[in-house]
Amino acid sequence: MMRMPVTAVLRKVSRVPAVNNARICAFSSAAPEKVEVFIDDKPVMVEPGTTVLQAAALAGVEIPRFCYHERLSIAGNCRMCLVEVEKSLKPVASCAMPVMKGMRVKTNSEFTRKAREGVMEFLLVNHPLDCPICDQGGECDLQDQSMTFGSDRSRFTDINFSGKRAVEDKNVGPLIKTIMTRCIHCTRCIRFASEVAGVDDFGTTGRGQDMQVGTYVEKMLMSEMSGNIIDLCPVGALTSKPYAFMARPWETRKTESIDVLDAIGSNIVVSTRTGEVLRVIPRQNDDVNEEWISDKSRFAVDGLKRQRLTVPLLKNSSGQLEQVEWEDALVRVAQALRSGKGNQVGAIAGGLVDAEALTALKDVLNRLDSELLCTEEIFPLDGSGTDLRSNYLLNSKIAGIEEADMVLLIGTNPRFEAPLLNTRLRKSWINNDLKVAMIGPKVDLTYEYEHLGDSPNVIDAVINGKDAFSKTLNSAKKPIIIVGSTALQRSDAAVILSKIQKLSSSLRAKGQIPSDWRVLNVLHRVASQVAALDIGYSAGAQKIRDAKPKVLFMLGADEGVISRSDLAKDCFVIYQGHHGDRGAEIADAVLPGAAYTEKQATYVNTEGRSQQTTSAVNPPGMAREDWKIIRALSEIMGITLPYDDLHEIRKRMNEISPNLTRYGDAEDANYFAQATELGNLINKPADSSPFNVPMKQLEDFYMTDAISRASPTMAKCIQAVKKQRESKY
Amino acid sequence: MACSGGGSSKVIKSVARQVKPILSLDKADARRRVVNLYKAWYRQMPYVVLEYDIPKNVEQCRQKLREEFDKNRHIKDIRVIDMLVIKGQMELKETVEIWKQKSHIMSYFKETVEPKPQGFLSKFLAGHE
Repeated sequence: MMRMPVTAVLRKVSRVPAVNNARICAFSSAAPEKVEVFIDDKPVMVEPGTTVLQAAALAGVEIPRFCYHERLSIAGNCRMCLVEVEKSLKPVASCAMPVMKGMRVKTNSEFTRKAREGVMEFLLVNHPLDCPICDQGGECDLQDQSMTFGSDRSRFTDINFSGKRAVEDKNVGPLIKTIMTRCIHCTRCIRFASEVAGVDDFGTTGRGQDMQVGTYVEKMLMSEMSGNIIDLCPVGALTSKPYAFMARPWETRKTESIDVLDAIGSNIVVSTRTGEVLRVIPRQNDDVNEEWISDKSRFAVDGLKRQRLTVPLLKNSSGQLEQVEWEDALVRVAQALRSGKGNQVGAIAGGLVDAEALTALKDVLNRLDSELLCTEEIFPLDGSGTDLRSNYLLNSKIAGIEEADMVLLIGTNPRFEAPLLNTRLRKSWINNDLKVAMIGPKVDLTYEYEHLGDSPNVIDAVINGKDAFSKTLNSAKKPIIIVGSTALQRSDAAVILSKIQKLSSSLRAKGQIPSDWRVLNVLHRVASQVAALDIGYSAGAQKIRDAKPKVLFMLGADEGVISRSDLAKDCFVIYQGHHGDRGAEIADAVLPGAAYTEKQATYVNTEGRSQQTTSAVNPPGMAREDWKIIRALSEIMGITLPYDDLHEIRKRMNEISPNLTRYGDAEDANYFAQATELGNLINKPADSSPFNVPMKQLEDFYMTDAISRASPTMAKCIQAVKKQRESKY
Repeated sequence: MACSGGGSSKVIKSVARQVKPILSLDKADARRRVVNLYKAWYRQMPYVVLEYDIPKNVEQCRQKLREEFDKNRHIKDIRVIDMLVIKGQMELKETVEIWKQKSHIMSYFKETVEPKPQGFLSKFLAGHE
């Protein structure tokens, strides 16, 4: 039988409206009296209900553990965290034991050490001795803890008779490699899958010696967050399939960076060796991604080795792109840019472009008297449009979701557009009894939500109080409305945005929302959009289609928004970017740029938080950092930009918008009331066609940009998901 | 103020002129040392070519010797000339005793080394930075 996760049981109870343990805790204990406990005779004051393990952490003592994890429910089954408590006959599992007044815990007594040694011995009885060929080697909790807490000699003699336990490996998809013999049954993966990822596929079968962790029937782990169980697994039972047998942790160089494959800006660590990105693992940042990352962020990096542009290319007389030297390419491009005047020169920026390159390109075009700078992503420009920053930010911040009591999603599928945001929503839904409602297509968000319909007219009904839901929304104390940027790609986006602005200000007018609480939120899909709007790009390529420029500079524009048919016949198209994708296909000149792991660059996430990537490897071949290409180009054009190094261009960015260089901070934005008033001026009828989102199912999630489209692992994922859909399980 | 400033710089100038020479007493003396060093090198050249087995002939080496001395032709300060002469003697000693290796001798002929790129554009084109 599948093991039912503890929280699933708890949730079933807590979803009954009247009783909710978490709520009672949060509200009734306004000033909880602290309890004094003694950890190794050191007094600590802790809140009642904390566990012995947490109290010890406060006292600066780290108790060894396998199954306990801060962000998962407590299982208490590995027994590694046993400690001696005075006046207790037996050792207690500190991860599950709440503190009691005057408790005296001994974390390093003879008794405790003996208990740990015993547990370690039991774990190792059935753990294979394959550390030399195990991918976890060097970062294995079992390895480390057996060195620190294990016995110094073995009593295991049965190698010739019944031997060690052996378990069949499971196939859970193209991302996770399982070697189940190594499993120590900590159940972290089970708890992660059911609590965080929301996929109740993992469980245990059998008991005692025969216990196995798995999916019971062969099944792929269909989650966009599945890669995190690789990090969670304390041993080598779950390892990364693409990274298998690639490197040891001590051989790799680790660079702290930022992920740019969605607009969340997850914090990551890039492991490199010999100028090659080997893997990406998450870095903790409680404001953004906690300690998870999505599978695309983690596994799409092998796309950085394929389809790369490594040399400058120019179209020759026969219409073929031909390899040239940088000098020739720059001279030709400069000549072309010089030939256009004013708005005959245009630029369009894609979704993976950094703020430095955006700044440099805008400065160059402005020097040519052109204001024709667009992004590929559309955002309504009517009303206050992108003039007010609060219009296009996720104003309540990702962490703010945990404070909210009501979330209304409009025209978005956060599960695939921003998996980390969806994880937060799910976390709040589990712990804070968050209510979620959705206007848009019915999709699986991994948690329950109230589906209000998929037509924009529902928004009107909610504003006017005609919809049954408006009562619930009006009673919310901290409501959040999240509009997907996909909903704003429509022709009537301006009307929709102004309606949503009206809805959020009418909620605020009820007066029960705290004055510093922000209701309106926009969830972007691409990493560059907020920075581009901050710098002053206009959203959407319509301006370029109207102007039909003579020269078009495509900065990483790979979504195929502009095609040759949108441009004048003799238009000279310049593409600068890192992948040979849709953009480079239509270009007359190609300038090879650097991908996000190859440059130190600024990205602003959907909250408006600016963060910087750092360069883990060098750009391949003759590729250069993007802003430097534009800077060099400007010198050849005779309009040299006044910055030579990163420091100077960041000074320029600071002049344009100071928030761009305040790394790590998400600056608040305001003027919601004014935005609503300006929005009221829009007098266009709304289209009643239903909202649609491009990513509905898991297979739509994996390939969304130039990097992930070039990634073989992502291709395998899509294949595996499609195959799983055909399976009867 | 300006007056006193001018006065002090004069003092400094006169002090600078009266600095005690290290080796050579006057210009002629310094020149004698330079010529002696030059001659010593000049005579050593056939042995250098032979012992170090370099792909240059004696003529070329002597030409290079001349170039090396001409590089410092503009120097007027006796102390600097003396210092350079001493350095030249040390080089010669290292050469004579074969403390150097072939590559050290050949490094005098390094015409192929390109100067490091200066300025943003040349650095960009060279791939530096």
